[in-house]
Amino acid sequence: MKSTSELIDSLVADAKPVRRLRSPVMRALCWLLFAALLLTLVALVHGVRPDLMVKLHQPVFVVGVIAALTTAVLASIASFMASVPGRSRGWLLLPAPAVVAWMSTIGYGCLTNWISIGPHGMSPGETARCFATLAITGIPLSLVMLIMLRYVARLSPNSVVMTGSLAVAAMTAVALSLFHPLDATVMILMWNFGVAAILMVLSGLYGRRLFGWVTPQG
Amino acid sequence: MSSRTHRPGPTLSIVRNAQDAAQADHPPETSGTRADGTLDWSILMAHAQAGDRDAYRRLLEAITPYLRALAARRIGNRSDVEDTVQDILLTIHTVRQTYDPALPFGPWLVTIANRRVADGLRRQGRLGAHEAPLPFDPEYETFQAAETNLQEEAADASMLRDAVEHLPAGQRDAIRMLKLEEMSLKEAAAASGMSVAALKVATHRALKNLRRLIEKRGGRS
Repeated sequence: MKSTSELIDSLVADAKPVRRLRSPVMRALCWLLFAALLLTLVALVHGVRPDLMVKLHQPVFVVGVIAALTTAVLASIASFMASVPGRSRGWLLLPAPAVVAWMSTIGYGCLTNWISIGPHGMSPGETARCFATLAITGIPLSLVMLIMLRYVARLSPNSVVMTGSLAVAAMTAVALSLFHPLDATVMILMWNFGVAAILMVLSGLYGRRLFGWVTPQG
Repeated sequence: MSSRTHRPGPTLSIVRNAQDAAQADHPPETSGTRADGTLDWSILMAHAQAGDRDAYRRLLEAITPYLRALAARRIGNRSDVEDTVQDILLTIHTVRQTYDPALPFGPWLVTIANRRVADGLRRQGRLGAHEAPLPFDPEYETFQAAETNLQEEAADASMLRDAVEHLPAGQRDAIRMLKLEEMSLKEAAAASGMSVAALKVATHRALKNLRRLIEKRGGRS
């Protein structure tokens, strides 16, 4: 075991100039810009859902997408803010109102459509394509977020990573609702809520390990 | 985990001219010492981020006693406190780019320190769950219970057995039957065909010989 003064010596010897992090809001904007770029690319390659124009006139759909988008924006700002030591942990609560709005529009839409359509609304054929969209938006977004937040690994990873995953899940949900005709079914609830829940649970469980993978020196 | 619950003991300086410090990469005149003589940790950190080793060393040496006090308040064991202090210093080194000189240094430092102190306590708790300190109990003390001396006794026994092997045949049989196998004189006489008196004489001579043999060996070794 080194003595503390020896440790200070070796740290001082290793003190290379470092580039300060940009402000958290700036970094959140960078991430959101990347997300926007990714969604545009997917839209170009895959094309938007055929009935998008019709859907854009339905208030429930529009409110739902806007709520998911707001959740993504607020959650990314919250995770970048809370990841900096010394900032208030209260930032983690920033996306809460948007999450409530998002989840309640899904629930409401699901309920009304269930009443009018019934249990035939399941469309398993769409599931595989949904999964593809989910992967090509969710994985890059998660990776970029993970790399941008790698310094938080030795601080307080779990809550920050969970908020980050909420941002990823919300962004993925926006992508799903723009690209796939999924409404009027239980599927939308499953996809939106399920993706959010799975991502958050996984990140809560494995956040530490993921960071260990991104930052070799831990 | 709130940084606000722990009010730092030593004075933590709030930056007055943090922007200047942040922008000046090589400020020769700003030595990091304020008018009242206290080191301004925020300024030192800003210099350290720019690669100023001298400022970095002064910062680390200045915060170490403070961190030690902070850790000692929650961790009892002295060596654990030192471990935690080193852990905090290492963390500060890895995440030093996250410090924004426009913000006060105190909350930044205390947040990191509290995190590592909590880790230290968790580690202590984990160890405590399956490692108990040895109680002072004669049972654990060497050379107190008879069982702990079995090794020595084994050596003695082999020496005696060796000596018995070197006796003449009659004496050896007498010792083996009467002392090792604990037969009575009558049984031994029946088993060996020797008379009781002859057995007694043989045993007596054998013991005398054994004493001589063992003394000789003990003196030699």
